[in-house]
Amino acid sequence: MTSLSATTPPTRARRGLRIGRYQGVLVALGVFILLLLINDWMSVGPMSYFEVSSLSTGGAPLAIAATGQTLVILTGGFDLSAGAVISLVNVVVATNMPDTPGGILLWSLLGVGVGMATGAFNGIFVAFFRLQPIVVTLSTMFIVQGLTLLVLDKPGGMVPMGLSNALALDAVPELVPMALVLLGIIVLLWLWLKSTRLGTAIYAIGSDMEAARARGISVRLAQFTVYVLAGGCYGFAGVFVSAQTGAGDPLVGNSMLLQIFGAVVVGGTRLGGGRGGVVGSIIGAYILMIIVNILLVLNVSAYYSTVVEGCILILAVLAGAISRHSRAAKHLRAGFVRFQAWRRGMLPRQVSRATRRLVLPGIEARPHKTPAPSFLVRNAESIRYALPAYVCFLIVLVITELTVGRALTSWSYFNSILVLSSFLLILALGQGTVILTGGLDLSVPWTIALAGILLAGMVNGQNGPMLYALPLVLLVGCLVGLANGIGIAIFGISPIVMTLAMNGILQGLALLYSQGTPAGFSAPLMRWFMTDKSGAVTPVVVFILLFVIAAVILHRRTPFGRRVYGLGNGEKVAALSGINVDRTIMLVYALSGFCAALVGCMLTGFSGQASLGMGDEYMLPSIAVVVVGGTLITGGRGSYLGMVGGVLLLTALQTLLAGTMLPYATRIIIFGLVVLAAVIALRERNH
Amino acid sequence: MRSWKTGWRFVAAGALALGVMAQAGSADAADKFKVFLSMSYIGNDWQAEAANMVKAMAAHKDFADKIDLQVQVAGPNAQRQIQQINAMVQAGAKAIVVYPISPTALNAVVKNACSKGVIVIAYDAAIEEPCAYNVTIDQEEAGRVTAEWLVKKLNGKGNIIAITGVPGTSVDTLRTKAAKEVFAKNPGIKIVAEAVGMWSQAVARTELSKILATHNWNEVNGLWMQVGCYTANAMQLEAGKKIEELLPCAGEGSNGGRIQMLPTSAKVEGGDTPPYAPLGAPRISYASPPYSGALALKLAVQKLEGKDIPKLTTLPLPIVTNETIKYCETGSWEEMKSGCNAFPPSLVPNPGWFASIFSDQTPEVGFQAALIGQPEP
Repeated sequence: MTSLSATTPPTRARRGLRIGRYQGVLVALGVFILLLLINDWMSVGPMSYFEVSSLSTGGAPLAIAATGQTLVILTGGFDLSAGAVISLVNVVVATNMPDTPGGILLWSLLGVGVGMATGAFNGIFVAFFRLQPIVVTLSTMFIVQGLTLLVLDKPGGMVPMGLSNALALDAVPELVPMALVLLGIIVLLWLWLKSTRLGTAIYAIGSDMEAARARGISVRLAQFTVYVLAGGCYGFAGVFVSAQTGAGDPLVGNSMLLQIFGAVVVGGTRLGGGRGGVVGSIIGAYILMIIVNILLVLNVSAYYSTVVEGCILILAVLAGAISRHSRAAKHLRAGFVRFQAWRRGMLPRQVSRATRRLVLPGIEARPHKTPAPSFLVRNAESIRYALPAYVCFLIVLVITELTVGRALTSWSYFNSILVLSSFLLILALGQGTVILTGGLDLSVPWTIALAGILLAGMVNGQNGPMLYALPLVLLVGCLVGLANGIGIAIFGISPIVMTLAMNGILQGLALLYSQGTPAGFSAPLMRWFMTDKSGAVTPVVVFILLFVIAAVILHRRTPFGRRVYGLGNGEKVAALSGINVDRTIMLVYALSGFCAALVGCMLTGFSGQASLGMGDEYMLPSIAVVVVGGTLITGGRGSYLGMVGGVLLLTALQTLLAGTMLPYATRIIIFGLVVLAAVIALRERNH
Repeated sequence: MRSWKTGWRFVAAGALALGVMAQAGSADAADKFKVFLSMSYIGNDWQAEAANMVKAMAAHKDFADKIDLQVQVAGPNAQRQIQQINAMVQAGAKAIVVYPISPTALNAVVKNACSKGVIVIAYDAAIEEPCAYNVTIDQEEAGRVTAEWLVKKLNGKGNIIAITGVPGTSVDTLRTKAAKEVFAKNPGIKIVAEAVGMWSQAVARTELSKILATHNWNEVNGLWMQVGCYTANAMQLEAGKKIEELLPCAGEGSNGGRIQMLPTSAKVEGGDTPPYAPLGAPRISYASPPYSGALALKLAVQKLEGKDIPKLTTLPLPIVTNETIKYCETGSWEEMKSGCNAFPPSLVPNPGWFASIFSDQTPEVGFQAALIGQPEP
């Protein structure tokens, strides 16, 4: 191999490399310009300065926040606190900023400072405690949301006009909006950062943390700095939102979170780190914002808007991924080769099956000497990662008994906990298996809702139709998952984009199917199954125990389970050890779709009918329980029993908090702190 | 480099397809007023119903030849709604009817729209910017009246559970605060548990289940919920309570809840299986009326035609108690005018559907409008 690469002309190789490196950005730019042209062509009159200025100002907070997120993702991290920090800074600014030039400057800097402080909080736990970024930032998200509500419990406050004039208006009147100048500065800073040691460290850590450490890069310090810088970006985005809106709203940033990820991924940055950059993310942010205009000029009907948006997202990413080295292209070539082999009759299954293995005499006869290690030894690692969740669960139980009473001594308490846990236990299998392979399923919410709506509509309060409706709905769930899997495995679309777009498409389908108001009721049998309290246990409790056993067997004792773990340890390694990677990925997402659909059916039984948006509450918890249970978000490590512990812990904790009279803001702060405490207990010991 | 071209071709084909779709849609007459509806999140019953009524209003014969209505969804994200309203102004909107995601975040963009002569009118939630028109209810009154009813029903003494709405929103904060002020004045009333219900029956069910894991129905005397009385009644029946033992519940105006308020003797078409059946449940039912969007559109058109309209339209709070509950046989306009307020389950299969659809200010939209978006003849 070395001699081969030495013979290729170096100049060409380098040029190819350079284009390859910037392909993500260039395609994103191409898509953006194209969308801009469509928008201009479709709308009345030529593009005015007002349009340019409103678009650039409108997209600026998203672009700035995406800049911060990009830094984190480049190092292989993940920051869920971004949206919450924007809200916090917004309310801090709106309640404190005085209308004097000095005050405006001071509180703008303090706003960025608040962001950096939360970033430092994240950074300490990620870099120095070596906790998983997703759980740390999830906890931070809850804590920050609570703090935000403590600062301002409803929209209000006042941002001085001076700030709006400074940030949200023109730098050069009628020529350059301030937002573009600021973004230009950010890009320059980024280019400078890239050329520094920290810049090198960011890419190196994202590519291979161990290798970076071996090369003498101070990994921890770099990680910490990156979270602080990212926090600063969110803080600045919060200041910008304040300037743009002129007031405070404790919820303003929360819903930006998914868009921030969308912007980063559309901009060509790879989740998991090592490839991409800030420029792409900024363009990605504007692509997401201009979709709003496109939907308007195309006059896409309300029910279709999420569908069209999802499709645009997938198309944009697909366009960015097209190259000779893309997954889709490889599959095309492989398919072509296979087809030719089939024509020639050379496929493995077409040639004779006679075994050609070398048989050595006496090999089979050798008896198996070494005794199997004891259960504890074999499962030491799983137990170590799973145990903390169970220990915390017990602690929560004791606290419940002491404060609210009626927990340890009451069977009905455990019955309720198990019924409430059942949804997350099932989702944890789907989401957990996806995460074990290194993916993520964000289409859970609307798979749940669509399944519930379909089931209620078909059975309409009768037991009989359950016979065909239930299998049919579960099949729909599998197909949704399969579609996710095909997009991810065959076309190589990033799991976050694929499942996020799928979520939007499913939302549109659910709205179209139900015409806005879901009809029908769950079958009486299903209601009995989920809510009956006449016996000692609600029937679903028995079912969920069986489900947990089946799930453990699936993970531990089946070839599928072994393939999942194999895949999580590295796709190439898995492929080389004979795992059919694509098929496994597709099956994993199909399993997740199946689990989500099953939860949709059960929720419909639990509530008596289906409603739009009934799955919304399950998106983040489904991820949280998986990681709290000791699973590594990048895949490969974790066990279903650990996730079960995570589910029990979070459900018991929520039940405890619901039983108290603490205000909501305090509750979510406690919730975040407990999740953080649980993962500190999970911390990997230094090697 | 070759990969580049393939990429472009791909995108270009997509764009062409989109373009063709769009050409078909935008061939409208130019002499109509261009009016836009900017909705927030579309994934819940109330929003979908309100959108149905706005569309029905636009399709009514009095309006169909006056306005050209385009409906757009911003999702739960205020940034996108800002962007959307800007785009609407750019697209030549004469009026924008908006369900504001945030009462404050839109101030700047709304001000800008006003300065370009666009009429901006918000429904349900309000926009603070003074140039905007608002159609809303008095949320504090809603919280106060329902809490006072519950206190009276319990004779000023008892344990209650409170289920609130979406934390951090003005509507939830105002309602909850007003209600708690009433409870605080009555020392006999004790809130034993409180949870966030997100204005969803499904969430109310989960949260109540959590509360009841550590509490018992027997130690609760009443419920104050923003949404969820229908579910709470169903849960009490599941827990073995008899129909006549149902707790007083102050809560939402869903049709399921309204049907439950009817006396058990009532004959109701399609309502023979509890919980979606007459139970004589002690209730006060209130809601943000979903016709507010349709009324906002009507006012916007009046303004476009040169009439003066009030800056703030406060809708009468639609309050229904067991004394005023009345079953609608068909849901015709005349019937609603004479005071009926609970619709047959056979016609409204979704108990979460909001029943406060009548206003004598909007004779253009009735039952069919709320249900399927069809205006009155």
